[in-house]
Amino acid sequence: MTTLSYYPGCSLKTSSSFYEHSLRKILSFYGIELKELDDWSCCGASAAPTINDKITDVLGARNIAIAEREGLHLVAPCSACYARTKVAASRIQQDRETREMVNRAISPLVCTGSLEVRNVIEVFLEYIGTERISDSAVYDLGTVRAAAYYGCVLTRTTGAPPSDDIEDPVGMDIILRCLGADPVAWQHKTECCGAGATITNKKMTASLSGHIMDMAAAAGANAVVTTCPLCQLNLDLTPHLKKDSAKLPVFFLTEIFELALFGAIEWGKRHLIPVDDILKSIGTPGDDVA
Amino acid sequence: MPQFSFLNEIETVSKAGISSCYQCCRCTNGCPVAQDMDIVPHRLIRYIIDGEREKALSSGTIWTCLNCATCSVRCPNGIDVARVFETLRVLSVEAHLATAMDTRLFDEIFIENISKHGRLYEMEAVMRYRLHKKEFFGDADMGLAMMRKGRIGLTPHNIRDRKKLGKVMREMAGKVKI
Repeated sequence: MTTLSYYPGCSLKTSSSFYEHSLRKILSFYGIELKELDDWSCCGASAAPTINDKITDVLGARNIAIAEREGLHLVAPCSACYARTKVAASRIQQDRETREMVNRAISPLVCTGSLEVRNVIEVFLEYIGTERISDSAVYDLGTVRAAAYYGCVLTRTTGAPPSDDIEDPVGMDIILRCLGADPVAWQHKTECCGAGATITNKKMTASLSGHIMDMAAAAGANAVVTTCPLCQLNLDLTPHLKKDSAKLPVFFLTEIFELALFGAIEWGKRHLIPVDDILKSIGTPGDDVA
Repeated sequence: MPQFSFLNEIETVSKAGISSCYQCCRCTNGCPVAQDMDIVPHRLIRYIIDGEREKALSSGTIWTCLNCATCSVRCPNGIDVARVFETLRVLSVEAHLATAMDTRLFDEIFIENISKHGRLYEMEAVMRYRLHKKEFFGDADMGLAMMRKGRIGLTPHNIRDRKKLGKVMREMAGKVKI
């Protein structure tokens, strides 16, 4: 049994609560328990840096301090939470002035910035490993031609080392292959989905997310797979944003695990774009698994 | 003769080596929203070097930027362009030169929301933004679809430490009222 600290972030408690459910279910299958940070707060996402650096660093520092108290590695499934926390930790560790400033602000909490932060892909590859993933996949996902969509900030942790190749990440493609799915080659793995612009500039998200969906379809994919809750939501909303864009179901990576391990996903009804066609195409256990 | 004081100011705050820019355009070529910008990224960097303070701080570009950081990871001189734009945003508000304020408005509402609850109460933040903009039916169709699928949090998630966090955040925000 391995225990990791867990920073869900706002999305996994609201718009993407089914992602949290799926993540916990899959990780516990592999013997990984998630211990949620006590009384965690929002990472500040892209809004905090617009106000100023201090508020950004303090929002990061508070969660980092709570996590450091636990002494465990921290997993942050949301890309914004992950990148913000990782970048803040490295800034706090490297810059004495920042470290002193945040510690004054969050006292009596204490943070050093030495925290190890992991995203979901890293957790699967580091703590479970490709061999165990391949061995555990029982349902045939040969019909799932997945476009692995990493989103923009997952690998762009400026100032802190990236978790994968910045331009052409492969971690999720490797996992999908281990699960027996068929990841397609495409060039939009790290394009921006439009992020928070869905609220302030809907046209922009429509054009960016719509293009990502069209390009995934053009590459021959019949599903998009991601780990970021905001990417998932924006892509899942494309039929409401841009009527003529391709309508591929948009899964969380952990839902592909659910398909490979259990042959079904528990919260398919939370998807805006129906996932039924993919579910129906899954073979039964005992079929030839790649 | 360019005024290097502006360049120095931005370099100091952003800690980005802007002066090493040789206008290769990689930032602009990779930018997913360059077509929506009034000044494309490499030109805006050049304006900073040239000391064009007002042009840089009043550009719509800094508010169009989504902070995806494609420019930052592709710059051959390691200039964190997205970080530079972030710095320009803060300074443009301070100098009362900010244009295209929708993003700023939402960011302020977002941060105020965090200072109140500790976590984002998305529905309240979006409603406040819509009220402010007097856009009452803008996303009704999208909102309803999300609501039907259980993808909108209907109640706030208040953290225990929210009063203290709010106080600290207001202190950190300084002149910005949140």
